[in-house]
Amino acid sequence: MISTKMLTAVTFLYLLCTVLYIIYLAFRSERLGKIAGGVSWVTLLIHTLAISLRWVESYQMGIGHAPLSNMYESLVFFSWCIALLHLLWEWKLKSRFLGAFTMPFAFLFIAYASLTPGISDRIDPLIPALQSNWLHAHVITCFISYASFALSCAMSIIYLMKLREEEKGQKETRLTARFPSLDSLDGLVYKTIVVGFPLLTLGIITGAAWANYAWGSYWSWDPKETWSLITWFVYALFLHARFTREWRGKRTALLSIIGFAAVIFTYFGVNYVLSGLHSYA
Amino acid sequence: MSKKDENGLFSSLWDSLSSLRLTIALLIILAVASIFGTVIPQNAPPGEYLQFYKPSTYKILKILGFLDMYHAGWFTFLLALLSFNLVACSLKRFRVTWRFFSHAQEPLEAAQWKALPLRQTFFQKGLPADVLPLVREALSRTFRTPKVIRNSQAGHLFAEKDKLSRLGVYFIHLSVLVILAGALIGYYFGFRGNVNLVEGEAADRVILRHEGQVQPLGFSVRLDQFNVSLYTSGAPKEFKSTVTILERARQVRTEPILVNHPLTYKGISFYQSSYGVAGVKKAVLRIKDRLSQKEITLPASVGTKTEIPGAASSFLLAQFIQDLQGMGPALQVLLFESNRPHETFWILLNHPEFSERRPGPYQFTIKEIEPKYYSGLQVTKDPGVWVVWAGCFLMMAGFYVTFFLSHRRLWVRLTEKGEETRVEIAGASHRDRAGFEKEFEKIGQALREKKTSKPEESEKYP
Repeated sequence: MISTKMLTAVTFLYLLCTVLYIIYLAFRSERLGKIAGGVSWVTLLIHTLAISLRWVESYQMGIGHAPLSNMYESLVFFSWCIALLHLLWEWKLKSRFLGAFTMPFAFLFIAYASLTPGISDRIDPLIPALQSNWLHAHVITCFISYASFALSCAMSIIYLMKLREEEKGQKETRLTARFPSLDSLDGLVYKTIVVGFPLLTLGIITGAAWANYAWGSYWSWDPKETWSLITWFVYALFLHARFTREWRGKRTALLSIIGFAAVIFTYFGVNYVLSGLHSYA
Repeated sequence: MSKKDENGLFSSLWDSLSSLRLTIALLIILAVASIFGTVIPQNAPPGEYLQFYKPSTYKILKILGFLDMYHAGWFTFLLALLSFNLVACSLKRFRVTWRFFSHAQEPLEAAQWKALPLRQTFFQKGLPADVLPLVREALSRTFRTPKVIRNSQAGHLFAEKDKLSRLGVYFIHLSVLVILAGALIGYYFGFRGNVNLVEGEAADRVILRHEGQVQPLGFSVRLDQFNVSLYTSGAPKEFKSTVTILERARQVRTEPILVNHPLTYKGISFYQSSYGVAGVKKAVLRIKDRLSQKEITLPASVGTKTEIPGAASSFLLAQFIQDLQGMGPALQVLLFESNRPHETFWILLNHPEFSERRPGPYQFTIKEIEPKYYSGLQVTKDPGVWVVWAGCFLMMAGFYVTFFLSHRRLWVRLTEKGEETRVEIAGASHRDRAGFEKEFEKIGQALREKKTSKPEESEKYP
């Protein structure tokens, strides 16, 4: 299928974006930054076209459904959300320091989808449990929130790198010269979480509403549900710790990284390590 | 213990129960405990646990409630403590927040004015009384219509926007309580059960999950038909139970139940959850007379004797098995021939070659079998579910108000300075300072443009 080939190409384009952003940080050339940004926008465009084409192809096969129905499709969509949110933040911040840390996420997730033999890239018809309009609302809200948390994790990593350097009293290295101040990084971690947290909540609520239609119960302590709640607790902790100014900076940056680890476990770990009702992706 | 000590004890208990430390501790404990609940299988039969754990470990886990953790006393206690902590924290903070709603803005003292993060000063021509309407007009256009602060000179104004944002956090905390209340309502006034219905059968009660009790429905539900359709790949496409609701033998409603499409009647919902084959509705057999090589096709049903036309023989389908020793669907045939004792043998849908090899005057093969299905329906009553949705809605509204709005306040002071009026503006926002700074700049700009005359004479002080 053409869309699958396109997505494999997009995988390597994300690797290229990652490399370009790293080179940009290393050489501090605005022109390189513009190239990295430009290539990223083009990659996102091709990625969007490939997802749309996969949607069209499913209709041509007579089993038309949005490409959000299995592990492969969800990974491709997750990567798309990360790239989109990254580019929107880059556009808003008018600074390109972030790409070297967010593009690896976009690359890793789509690479895992494209290059792992165990993950089928076939377009399959929807099984009865997935035949619901809640599918779209649930998957879209969850993955935009996951992508927002990926960004906050990237910003937290940058924060910790910068902090370590300042604590050691070193001069800025080439790589970290482009990073904003610790305070603005702390603010950015907060802002991305403030976008992700309500969306995660909405993702859990739409999931609950759907479960109530499909399984007759809005909450059954299924491992996927429980882990989404654990993730929710971690970010709720982040917000409470920060709002009351008891925790700042390093500790909240670590919490944001732990939060994203919980996201990843909710997404993959539950499927591979634990078993439950939510076995699609 | 003296009274003072008692008070001290009570207040220190109240302090810990209403502390944010407790919130943080509880969130961590709940998160870690929940991890155990996902790693240890919940509500599994004892045999399954004994495969993984030593009997002593199993006993300890059972006593500690780890095998049905989310319903264990200590887990419920933690949730109750979190709710209490949430209420206590909210009450403690609410007293401060409520001042913004209950008290009118007082005139600011010099020190308070200086403490405000955003300030601008400039001069306008004319007396304060002339400038005032212009300021009022400009502010209502760019921000909010200001009010003259009570107990102050006429030139001291105040305006504010999105005060509601201060209440957002209370909405969110309340929403958690509403959701938990909804869950409790469902737990005490609802039920969750199962019923297996064979096509044509009706039931007026269901077996409750966990408790194993019987719950009468107050009406009957009959399964008219069950259909399963598959995609060409063999994956399931649709499971459909067509059911009829009966009230004292009177048919009230006939509707299909599909996955993702339950049927709700009188607050009780029916969900498609499983299915299976209970027997044969109709079997069509091919019977070949080995002597004459003539073949006839005739329908038969399980339990009824069927005559073979043109012969003095008859047969009976004794039973149907969905899977006979891994060889698929099978029918047991009893063949009665005159002058001979009856014979018993199996015929297989997927393996007609067995029939060819069986000696005797007739060769039986199955042309088709129409299975009689049973459908497993989950039956749920949950009067708390709408309370839960209301809580969810309140939570989302609370997030919007809390995270995306901020309480912005603006003060204006007009003082007479000879022929001119000194205009001082100051502002504060309880969230999103950077965003308000831009808004404040624009407001300042708008106020300065509203000049009575001589724009070049205005001054700007830092």
